[in-house]
Amino acid sequence: MSWSAELVEALGRENVITDPARLRTYECDGLTGYRVQPAMVVLPRSAGEVAAAVRVCARHGVPFVARGAGTGLSGGALPVADGIVISLQRLRRIMEVDPVNLRAVVEPGVTNLDISKAAAPYGLYYAPDPSSQQVCTIGGNVAENSGGAHCLKYGFTVNHVLAAEVVLADGTVTRLGGESPQLPGYDLLGAFIGSEGTLGIVTQVTVRLLAKPAAIRTMVADFATVAGAGDAVTGIIAAGIVPAAVEMLDNLAIQAVAASTESVYTPDTAAALVVELDGPPDDVAEQFDEVQEICRRNGSTKIMVAADAEHRALIWRGRKAAFAAVGRISPNYFVQDGVVPRGRLAEVLGRIAAMADDAGIRVANVFHAGDGNLHPLVLYSEGEGQHDRAEHLSTQIAELCVELGGSLSGEHGIGADKACSMPRMFGQDDLATMLRLRSAFDPDGLCNPGKVFPTPRLCGERPGPYRPHPLEEAGVIERL
Amino acid sequence: MSTVTTYRPSTLADLRDAMAESARAGERLAVAGAGTAVEWGGAPEHDAVLDTTAMSGLISYNPTDMTVAVQAGMPLRSLQETLAGNAQWVALDPALAAAGATVGGLVATADAGPVRHTFGASRDSVIGVTVVLADATVARSGGHVIKNVAGYDLAKLFHGSLGTLGVLAEVVLRLHPRPSATATLAVPCHAAAAFDLGGRLIHGSLEPVAVEWCGRVLLARFDGTAGGVEDRGRRAMALAGDGAEWLPGDDERAAAHWAAVADLVRGAEGDTVVRLGTAPDRTPSLAALVAREAAAHDVDAAMTSSPFAGAHTVRLRGGTASQHAAVVTALRAAAPAATVCRWTPGLRDQLPAWGEPPPAVAVLRAVKRAFDPNDRLGKGRFAPWF
Amino acid sequence: MVLTPGDTGSFDAHHPPRRDLLDDCVHCGFCLPTCPTYLVDGEEMDSPRGRIYLMDLAQRGEIPLDRTMAGHIDSCLGCLACVTACPSGVQYDLLLEATRPQLERHVPRTRLDRLVRKAIFAVFPYPARMRAAAALGVLYRRLGLRWLTHRLGIMNRMPAQLRAAEDLLPPVPVRSLFRRLDRGAAAVGERRLRVAMLEGCAQRVLFGDVNAATMRVLAAEGCEVVVPQGQQCCGALNLHAGLEDDAAARARKLIDTFEQANADAVVVNVAGCGSSMKEYGLLLRDDPAYAERAARFAASVRDVNELLAELEPRAPRHLIAAKVAYHDACHLANAQRIRRQPRDLLRSVPGVELTDIPEADICCGSAGIYNLVQPGTAEELGRRKAANIESTTPDVIATANAGCLLQVRRFLSADIPLVHPIEILDASIRGVPLEKARR
Repeated sequence: MSWSAELVEALGRENVITDPARLRTYECDGLTGYRVQPAMVVLPRSAGEVAAAVRVCARHGVPFVARGAGTGLSGGALPVADGIVISLQRLRRIMEVDPVNLRAVVEPGVTNLDISKAAAPYGLYYAPDPSSQQVCTIGGNVAENSGGAHCLKYGFTVNHVLAAEVVLADGTVTRLGGESPQLPGYDLLGAFIGSEGTLGIVTQVTVRLLAKPAAIRTMVADFATVAGAGDAVTGIIAAGIVPAAVEMLDNLAIQAVAASTESVYTPDTAAALVVELDGPPDDVAEQFDEVQEICRRNGSTKIMVAADAEHRALIWRGRKAAFAAVGRISPNYFVQDGVVPRGRLAEVLGRIAAMADDAGIRVANVFHAGDGNLHPLVLYSEGEGQHDRAEHLSTQIAELCVELGGSLSGEHGIGADKACSMPRMFGQDDLATMLRLRSAFDPDGLCNPGKVFPTPRLCGERPGPYRPHPLEEAGVIERL
Repeated sequence: MSTVTTYRPSTLADLRDAMAESARAGERLAVAGAGTAVEWGGAPEHDAVLDTTAMSGLISYNPTDMTVAVQAGMPLRSLQETLAGNAQWVALDPALAAAGATVGGLVATADAGPVRHTFGASRDSVIGVTVVLADATVARSGGHVIKNVAGYDLAKLFHGSLGTLGVLAEVVLRLHPRPSATATLAVPCHAAAAFDLGGRLIHGSLEPVAVEWCGRVLLARFDGTAGGVEDRGRRAMALAGDGAEWLPGDDERAAAHWAAVADLVRGAEGDTVVRLGTAPDRTPSLAALVAREAAAHDVDAAMTSSPFAGAHTVRLRGGTASQHAAVVTALRAAAPAATVCRWTPGLRDQLPAWGEPPPAVAVLRAVKRAFDPNDRLGKGRFAPWF
Repeated sequence: MVLTPGDTGSFDAHHPPRRDLLDDCVHCGFCLPTCPTYLVDGEEMDSPRGRIYLMDLAQRGEIPLDRTMAGHIDSCLGCLACVTACPSGVQYDLLLEATRPQLERHVPRTRLDRLVRKAIFAVFPYPARMRAAAALGVLYRRLGLRWLTHRLGIMNRMPAQLRAAEDLLPPVPVRSLFRRLDRGAAAVGERRLRVAMLEGCAQRVLFGDVNAATMRVLAAEGCEVVVPQGQQCCGALNLHAGLEDDAAARARKLIDTFEQANADAVVVNVAGCGSSMKEYGLLLRDDPAYAERAARFAASVRDVNELLAELEPRAPRHLIAAKVAYHDACHLANAQRIRRQPRDLLRSVPGVELTDIPEADICCGSAGIYNLVQPGTAEELGRRKAANIESTTPDVIATANAGCLLQVRRFLSADIPLVHPIEILDASIRGVPLEKARR
């Protein structure tokens, strides 16, 4: 029997898609620049069916790619032409919310926000909050180790997942992590989270829940210059304050948000800083005053304090929809995601502006200023033939982040998009060592192939010439 | 008596050379830092020791970025002293730090202290590592920024690896600001009441940074601004009721309470110390089991728990090795995720180094094979699992 | 691939989905969790993003207009929750309305599908036929035929579409079926507005009480109400089903009828009708004789909630002690962006405790004729909605659309009164208990 017939038999015809037009709707995720039509899409309804599908793939050497909501921005769910897509959108049950043990057990297709909604009656919530939290699924969050605006204080997915049931590349089902984080042995769960779907498919996740903070205070501080806003961020951190979130939007980004309805941002300010503090009321009140003072000292032109929860929601709605809102001011754009050490924010922004000028391309900036995670939005018009120039600029920006001692990606992942840039950040031995981990989980390389690691087919036959890592040049690290 | 070679590199290059040399010699290697966790799990068979304590330098520290890079042999205690100058710290307070435990050792043992309640274990503070594998391959993962998802996170893999995958050479850590005020709530109570009160402190959004139940006293530490800590103190005391004490930061009694936690975890010559992990709500039943088994086998048992992190340490004192073995066996039956960190003399002869293996043991074995195919590093540390 | 300007790919040249509107979609997926069909089956092609992707491919000529594509466009409820959720401002409503007529023209339907649709369009837009059908329905129940067909298992052998229609029949008393609405009402006190009221087709037959209440409330709030005589169906059902020509013909007739009333505003109490009437300008944009009149007419259309919210309350309200769950009709909340007004009106009634429903932004599955042509999905959505409503343990459920009233009633397990918000307002103004006001 052919593998496709086996899959139909294992899952039932109604859970398999083979029609070409239908398959095409799965050919890309949130990153539309890469499109590959899969040979088949399967929609299992249980972990057992996921395992059954993977076993068929393993037997026949068919590559498979797991897909959640398809909101990823690095092409992590890009299909493989001769392979299948395993959609987890029918695994959407919340199995348990356990307020006593402060955890919830959910299937991978549950959205990030729905976990918090389910926990809300108990005064609890799930802390990581990627901007797409109303859409993106916990399975995707586990694959990408998603962060979000509030990860400055609360950390990432990896800090909030206690256990996962996973289907390994040979179709066996196992459990990583456990009922307590204190477990003997290698932290396989920690390594699995953020592996971008290359080590297996998660079919159930146990997440940690936190008590909602007693107080939340949010402000938007306007600045006449981006540098002023950057200095204010440095000032806040230097004062020993750990805000729940510090976000910056530059003028172009604010214009995009303003083009969508209900924007609360000042349309003509050069930069706006969203600062949110949460925690016990007295602690928050004291530090909130201090933050305002620091903003003023660094030249803030206007400070707007969120009056109530609704007002705060408006501030966040604008911020979280910023990427998509850019669609209102530019026909096409690339979303970049790089990280620099916090102290080099002003420098990197200046250099991005200069590079954008040189390329004659507009770049809007929305980013998690508190942790140095930039999201430059490279605006261009496909119709005016700017695609290649814009793409080049976008790649240059990511590599600039590495040059300044940072990272290629803070949260969107490497995926298909940045695999070819990985040698800028890691040496051959680093990558080879990571591949040893991969081979332990997936010796045949069937699980989401072509992602994270550069391959000759993807990046050209000859890898780029060796260039010393910037940290190496700076004497921070040594290459032996 | 012993004829083992000792390598004591002081630089990454030395370390790599030492690994290459020992690989050529085909030696089985035991990796050691300060030796504070040398007994954890199985006793490795080895022909040579790789001592990391000469790799104790600060590589880079930029207070503005709130990150620090150190050589893995640096004692955590001295790192914290350096950071204190900028009112910063690594949010990690393992008991063994006072005994000189190194940063690399703490990662390799997946250790943590009471603030695990808020900040997790060492894995949650590590943002980058450089490791040297058994074949002398030098590999990095992570980096110098807090937020980074590029590539696999090898630091996680090495977390809890007990020297069996490679040698941690350099570690990059994220830092937190030191709070301006701190205070401790101390409430004498049994485990069930402690779990209940701890839950109320958490659900009441009082945000204790640590909740520990040790020696029949619930300890909750609160960090924050002076006004904030004071306010929470009032509310915590109201929740705690009679017998509760509020001990501001510099109170000697607070320090004594927390020192008792660390003392228990470290244990002393002749003790058996076991780390266990359970779901939070199993804390009271585990406490009852410990008391019952200790009484049944005539051993003096003490326990400290971070109930909401599901992390417990049990110390057995007095009695014979076989009495200890009986208690440990009972504990393993209740909580298979157990690590024996200190073995009373003779206990090793009575017990396998580990109990029931975790469900993913096949993957653990595959990882071990991929990183150290010749089983040179820490051979037997995870026996009988692999 | 390179598109030459004016290239319409697999679509014909008559108003295909516009390239610039298709390009607005950045594939972010924010629409997915708001889409009822995606919620049910989790398939990309049954999500707004997937449907736009199919339209895009067809516009590029990369896929044909065939039953596969038609199936996924047909499955859309047109609830437009995705439009509300979209951060990029994609006008999915326009894309859908451009695509449906194309599919009607180019993709032959199955025989059963044709039959069902034909029957629906032969009955619903005609009050007399609707009345006859409803009367038959009442007889069917009264004579025990319903019991009999179910007992004999006949119903289970009927197509799902017919079963859905059977289930939807509300328990309407016969006398209510034949009650006629007054031709108008004078304003109480000083006249503030002259409004022309739409009676609706199914509405006047099945929900005559709602029309009567609407007229009383408008009058009490100082509106002179006229009911233009001879008014026919507004064409909403046709429009939403892609029957563009039929919809346009009905629009022209309705405009003719209402223009003669010389009113300040056209007031509608059915969300689905109101949203279509507000689109007449677009529908008749190519008709030189009507384009301008249609635009003017569309601008004068007000949902009754919207209109009342614009008027300072005048009539005193009396106490109605009830916990009211308000259900947003998609054609009110998403298509007309009217969310606050009905809530404000209900809150203006002393004693009313308003509660919101979990998953408020998910369609109940009614969606025009959707529950008749896509009964499976509609049923799942109806159950889900009813369960969410019941989870708030309301005394009364209020929703401002005939379709939702029918659909939700079908799936409620508890016997909770289901009303149009205007009925609560009416009872409050008249000072009578809600149950009494509805007789």
